Amino acid sequence: MPEFITFGIKWLPELLKGVPITLSLWAIAITLGFFLGLVLTWARVYGNRFFYWLSTVYIELFRGTPMLVQMFFIYLGLPRFGIVFDAFTAAVIAITLNSAAYQAEYFRGSVLSVPKGQLTAARACGMTQWQAICCIMLPQALRRVLPQWSNEAIVELKFTSIAYTIGVVEITALASDIGSRTLDFFQIFLWAGLVYLVLTSSVASFLGWLERKTYVPGVTNV
Amino acid sequence: MSESLVLDVRNVTKRYDSLEVLKGISLGLNKGETKVVIGPSGSGKSTLLRCVNHLTKPDAGEIYLEGEAIRDANINAMRARMGFVFQDFNLFSHLNVLDNVRICQMKVKGADKKTATHRAQQELARVGLEEKASAYPAELSGGQQQRVSIARALAMDPVVLLFDEPTSALDPELTGEVVRVMQQLAAEGMTMVVVTHEMSFARQAADEIIFMENGHIVEQGSPDAMFSHSDHERTRAFLNVIADHG
Repeated sequence: MPEFITFGIKWLPELLKGVPITLSLWAIAITLGFFLGLVLTWARVYGNRFFYWLSTVYIELFRGTPMLVQMFFIYLGLPRFGIVFDAFTAAVIAITLNSAAYQAEYFRGSVLSVPKGQLTAARACGMTQWQAICCIMLPQALRRVLPQWSNEAIVELKFTSIAYTIGVVEITALASDIGSRTLDFFQIFLWAGLVYLVLTSSVASFLGWLERKTYVPGVTNV
Repeated sequence: MSESLVLDVRNVTKRYDSLEVLKGISLGLNKGETKVVIGPSGSGKSTLLRCVNHLTKPDAGEIYLEGEAIRDANINAMRARMGFVFQDFNLFSHLNVLDNVRICQMKVKGADKKTATHRAQQELARVGLEEKASAYPAELSGGQQQRVSIARALAMDPVVLLFDEPTSALDPELTGEVVRVMQQLAAEGMTMVVVTHEMSFARQAADEIIFMENGHIVEQGSPDAMFSHSDHERTRAFLNVIADHG
């Protein structure tokens, strides 16, 4: 145990340099994925036949193939057509596109679970379709989706580690590098796991707080 | 067209596949009038009401509000002038009572928050619920929810109020509070079309009762004429059944 602590004191500062990279990769991708997910949901629930199919094909494509393959395709495959991204950008794009597909599926379920009468009442008082969706449908659907969305947010936080494979210097990459230098993979990956655990539990507690904060009786527990 | 004609429904038809729900309905409503539409389930009463503000789009026929035809192009502005009270209230569940009564004023009429709040408080007081302003719909009884939904409609200063079976989803002991609010509105000269099975309301508050069946208006007349000496066998039979159950 003391050895584990000493190792930590020595190497943790270097390992923690990956935290801002991991967190920014995650925060950008989950946020962009959120908005893209909303657009996909809109297309699938309210869009015409063309948008419905476009959205459906997108979702099936990105849920049906591994994120690692998607990331390699974007980073290593697209340069053939002159489309070149740096590793961080390629990772953000891959995680965003992948996460959007999952988020869209969660949003769709929650949008469909909001009683139809809510939208009808909004239209009946003269709101446009857009106002009714933004002011009445979304605030309810987002509250309802929060538990599943939290799960997705945490899964994506862990998925940022695969950006290591294309050279993004995040937590896993640094751990692997320190491991090679110290030849103590056991300890450094234990530390890396701990760091991820702290991050995921912080995100989980924040989202749990947000869930309680935005709770409205009758909206989420029906 | 009479100058005081607020709502003019002309020859409205509606068909769902092979089922003709409305077979050419016409009715007019003068300012301050209350008309009660009664009839068995499936007679087209609710469809008629929903056609009036195009929540259900009629296949044919015209609807005029204060002389202006309702079109796709002006539908939102027209709906803002017609209050609609639903059978199952449809209060916005994520908003408290005050916000429920404020939101349409602010989003549709562009009222500022202060004006909307003041107006909302007035209407909540009118339905006797000013002390519930911060409660959420799920925390209210059905009768209270329906009164809030009436306040929400009133806060838009509608020229006509449409009630779609406003007491049908309520426990019998809660219908009274909603009926009283509707009676008060009728007495104050609000223009209203009310689809209901509440015969006491129809008898007391209606200027005219319209009996519908199979997508037709079978008969219409004053409460007195309809209840005491209807010409139609079908109307008498329906009223007898309702009287037995009510």
